[in-house]
Amino acid sequence: MDYSELRQEVDAIASSFLFLEKKEIEIPLAGQFLNQLEEAATRADALGAAEVKRLAGALSQLLEKVVLDGVDAEKGYGLFERGIVLLQAVVDGYCNAGRYDGNMEDFMGELASGIGIALEAQTTTAPNAERASGEPPATEATPAKATVQDESLLRDFITEGLEYIGEIELNILNLEQEPENKDYINAIFRPFHSVKGVASFLNLDKIRILAHDLETLLDKARNEAIAITPELIDLILDGSDTLKAMIGQLRDELEGREAGEEIDTSDIIRRVKLAETCAEQPRQPKKLGTILVEDGVINESDLEVALERSQVPPPRKLGETLISEGMASPKDVSRGLRKQAQQVTDSNTIRVDIKKLDDLIDMVGELVITQSMIRQSDTLQSLGDRKIVRDLAQLASITSELQRSSTVLRMIPIKQTFQRMSRLVRDLAKGAGKLINVETVGEDTEIDRNMVDEIYNPLVHMIRNAVDHGMESPEERIKAGKPEKGTIKLRAFHRGGNIVLEISDDGRGLNREKIRQKAVKNGMISASDNLTDPELNRLILLPGFSTAEKITDISGRGVGMDVVKQAVEKLRGKMDIQSAEGRGTVFVTSFPLTMAIIDGMIVKVGNERYILPTVAIRQLIRPDRTSYNCIVGEAETINVMGRLLPLVRLHDLFEIEPVHRNPWEATLVVMEGEKRSKCLLVDEILGKEEVVIKNLGESLKRIKGVSGGAILGDGNVGLILDPEGLFEMAESN
Amino acid sequence: MSVNKNLKILIVDDFATMRKVIRNLLKQGGFENIVEAEDGVAALKVLQSQKVDFIISDWNMPNMSGLELLKAVRGADDLKELPFLMVTAEALKDNVVAAVKAGVSNYIVKPFTAEVLNEKIEKIVKGMAA
Repeated sequence: MDYSELRQEVDAIASSFLFLEKKEIEIPLAGQFLNQLEEAATRADALGAAEVKRLAGALSQLLEKVVLDGVDAEKGYGLFERGIVLLQAVVDGYCNAGRYDGNMEDFMGELASGIGIALEAQTTTAPNAERASGEPPATEATPAKATVQDESLLRDFITEGLEYIGEIELNILNLEQEPENKDYINAIFRPFHSVKGVASFLNLDKIRILAHDLETLLDKARNEAIAITPELIDLILDGSDTLKAMIGQLRDELEGREAGEEIDTSDIIRRVKLAETCAEQPRQPKKLGTILVEDGVINESDLEVALERSQVPPPRKLGETLISEGMASPKDVSRGLRKQAQQVTDSNTIRVDIKKLDDLIDMVGELVITQSMIRQSDTLQSLGDRKIVRDLAQLASITSELQRSSTVLRMIPIKQTFQRMSRLVRDLAKGAGKLINVETVGEDTEIDRNMVDEIYNPLVHMIRNAVDHGMESPEERIKAGKPEKGTIKLRAFHRGGNIVLEISDDGRGLNREKIRQKAVKNGMISASDNLTDPELNRLILLPGFSTAEKITDISGRGVGMDVVKQAVEKLRGKMDIQSAEGRGTVFVTSFPLTMAIIDGMIVKVGNERYILPTVAIRQLIRPDRTSYNCIVGEAETINVMGRLLPLVRLHDLFEIEPVHRNPWEATLVVMEGEKRSKCLLVDEILGKEEVVIKNLGESLKRIKGVSGGAILGDGNVGLILDPEGLFEMAESN
Repeated sequence: MSVNKNLKILIVDDFATMRKVIRNLLKQGGFENIVEAEDGVAALKVLQSQKVDFIISDWNMPNMSGLELLKAVRGADDLKELPFLMVTAEALKDNVVAAVKAGVSNYIVKPFTAEVLNEKIEKIVKGMAA
């Protein structure tokens, strides 16, 4: 081992030190020592001289403290002197014996406590560190609008400061799109830094403090201590707005204008401090453009123009162009950027291709079936081994938990759909010359990602209908004594395993007389038919019905509500209309939350097995003979806790030979439909199971009362029944 | 012994107002021979075209930061010894230590008074003379 170079390095430090005139290590020399110690440590590391490395590192730390005025200069000098002597001794030991046998712990302890004590007196927050360098602390008591002698300096500051803050606004949009780009953070950091610097000289303390806090926040973002989130961007924009306002006030004051009330910065500072302390994961950015169009900030042609202009060298970001061309405000653009990001992910999320998720959920579905088949295997059960039984039970509970959590993966809030719909209402209203407000309720209601796209089209049609037919023109509304501006309300909530979406307007309501005339004309009903209001309402859901007097570009192109109804039903959804003339119309649709699985009760009728959605089941009963009622020519009823419910015989509906015909011998399932409950007569209940819904294929899709099929745990196929469909079948018989 | 007030001092800062502030403070200390540059790149141009005795540079600048300027200055044979005072608002250890390692003559933390600035200049110039 050749320690000679290491020894030269250490000796060089020692001799430079020896020639010092004053008992103080000045900065240029400290820099030289730091570099030499670093070099020595690297060499020591390569040679395996651990003590040398450790001591050199400790001395570097000492020097850093000296440089930062963290220790008293003379004390630092004394410690360094002893340290360098010790370092020479350690290196000597290695040169002579290849190791160091002496004790350096005493010195290390002293050094640590020497630096440590200094540290204690010198907490590392930035304001204190600034004070440490011998500068007088900023006069904290000075009022915000300080006395400034040099007016021209102040004027310069105002002009330049406002310019710089304008720069922040432009750069922040770049940052929002590319949060990992350090250049953008720097470009924002610098103006705050400069504003703060000058403000500190001009004793503009409120500006200095806010700029300082924003700078610190950005510094943390730059060092990746905190993530660039939409909230952070917002906060920075708010901060720069506040700075701008304060500088603007200075200008007003300088020009002898009324400056207005003093700006309160405590709230924004509190938010900045809060943001500094909470760390979040960075999010994924996406492209801009369409969001802004959707939001009505710009229109399509604006967008095209802006996109073109962005291409003109030097190329710029779309957001930049929009702002500098005055087509959108920085806030709008940033809000658009954020919105887009939110659609994809909130904080602490990752993006996964929906296809992968679908595959995963499918596989989990298959896994559930397979484990169920294993569990019911006769061979295994005949073993009677308690351990296997226990393990199988464990397997079952894990798989069902897995299934539950994998299905939840695909659930997303209905929010995005609502936003698109709100946007649509605004566009349509503009086209039709109507004034319409959109209100949304229940945006956080969740629905399967795969359902979102499916339900969108029917919903769009209903919206169009509401805007075009439902809502009156402003003049008509005033005439009718209603507020000029109409309201369309979008409401979402969960009910009975379904998501219910309501689109209500406060427009003119359905004109039932007109509907009746049209229906008579089309031969749907006869003039003498006496229909109830709900029945009349539902007529517009029948094929070939449209009451629109004129064809607009919005709706009334012959595609009626019947198409919507079919689309809804295809999704196992239900649709209804409520309307009050002159007061408005409500389209109520309900959809299953997911198309993938269903929690089912397996029932047996004869030799057949059926699956009933558990969500629709209210009760399972075996009634007394006395609670059964049959009036000749009328429906059979069962008295269930004081309510008379119609009896539906499943065996009759499906023409099967049952084991039991008497309700008091069979089992009754009290099922809840959309509006009514009925008792379903079955032979017996086999159990409860979560089944993966399998499509029955095109040919069997429309069979009433059946919504799908499923592979049961024993490997057999069972049909999934649709309560509402069954009820309708029962009612039409 | 007092420092020669005829030193030609180069102020490097991207913020014009800041340059003016420093200029004013220097004037209070009796320094009148002042040139300015708006960033590291501009400063290097100044250094090429004229003899400068002292640099006061901001840390945080576009194009070329104070640290990069310092490294460029120290890397040039004829400028190795040029007194270089770094102005910083981030008296954070990493920054200052990096500058110290790169051979800065001293650093000063914003905001500072004319007296402190003077002291630092004197300290540097005297240190160089010794």
